[in-house]
Amino acid sequence: MTTMSSKEEIKARLKEVQSLPTLPAIVTKLNEMVEDEDVTAVQLGKIIEKDQVLTSKLLKMVNSSFFGFPQRISTVSNAIVLLGFNVIKTLIVTSSIFETMQTEDVSLWEHSLGCATVATVLAKHHGIKNPEEISTAGLIHDLGKIVIKAELPEEYEKIVELVAAEEIPMREAELKVLGVGHAEIGSWLVKEWNLPDRLTMPIKYHHAPSTAKGEARLAAIIHFSDILIRAIGYGSGGDPWVPELDHDAWNKIKMGKNEMREVLDEVEDKLAGLANFTDELTQGG
Amino acid sequence: MQRLPIKYAKPGMVLAKEAVTEDGMVLCGPGTELDAAIISRFQKAGLEAITVEGHPVRLPGEKGLRERIKELEMRFSRVKGDPVLMALMKLIANYWVEQEMPPDKSQQQK
Repeated sequence: MTTMSSKEEIKARLKEVQSLPTLPAIVTKLNEMVEDEDVTAVQLGKIIEKDQVLTSKLLKMVNSSFFGFPQRISTVSNAIVLLGFNVIKTLIVTSSIFETMQTEDVSLWEHSLGCATVATVLAKHHGIKNPEEISTAGLIHDLGKIVIKAELPEEYEKIVELVAAEEIPMREAELKVLGVGHAEIGSWLVKEWNLPDRLTMPIKYHHAPSTAKGEARLAAIIHFSDILIRAIGYGSGGDPWVPELDHDAWNKIKMGKNEMREVLDEVEDKLAGLANFTDELTQGG
Repeated sequence: MQRLPIKYAKPGMVLAKEAVTEDGMVLCGPGTELDAAIISRFQKAGLEAITVEGHPVRLPGEKGLRERIKELEMRFSRVKGDPVLMALMKLIANYWVEQEMPPDKSQQQK
């Protein structure tokens, strides 16, 4: 029995789910504070530091080789100054998702981490401001896939079966089964987190970046990061194939052979450096 | 050349690139032959990975070059009509081939 679900039905079902990464109360509070222009990083940091478990997770992440800051970041307010509030907020909301991924879907975690790594390298080559934001967008670009797996397990099974039986990419199977793809599902979530377009557009449009309504260059970077990490074969985004290239988007970030070789070199360097990253995060201390 | 996490560093390996820490500090130049003292200094400095000549270590789960390129072609099988992506595939394949090649003129190390 293959009942086609409608997009609206899926949206409604996901809304009802309890375990979804909804906005923790602390983020709501922080959002309110940020509206006050006079609020300082120290004040925001103090609110977060009241939650010791969260603080320790957050500091572990910002001090990991993923961000690779030379000096140890010892307070949340320093982390906010260095990485920006949007990155910190995203890390707070997604910390539990990452933990689940690191144990339950290692290949998708590697794919996400790899995509983020490529995005970091490309951001440098293209002189993107706030590169940590685009790295973070890379890390959560497939958020929708995690949500489908966790919250719609029956549909997820069907999607996986379709990928194998018909040899189609996962996003095509998602459209067949759910009527909506992971990029859009991911965008529903991040929209509720009140993140800027710089983070939401690359997630929503990573398969069709030239249709992004704003931040088209950043969307192009995540689009190509996804392609390149799949090309290299690091981790797995649910199917083995390199997705189609959006040529309008590619024209925005086009690189020649020599620059692409540099990119490959730098990506490989960074991936080798991240070999212990997951251990860093999951080990105590 | 091969990029290796620092835990695979062994005396006798030769650096193909300078060893640089995350914060940009250069510890050793290319051509340096590693010994126990240098490796221990790398570890203390928090160096995470090094790039060495040749391809001395088959990392866990690492596949041979031929198999890797076969899989690379499979991953690109749905986008064969796209010249940009085909060029990317060739670029990656060449990059891998060159990486596994032993250093230019020096003797082939095993």
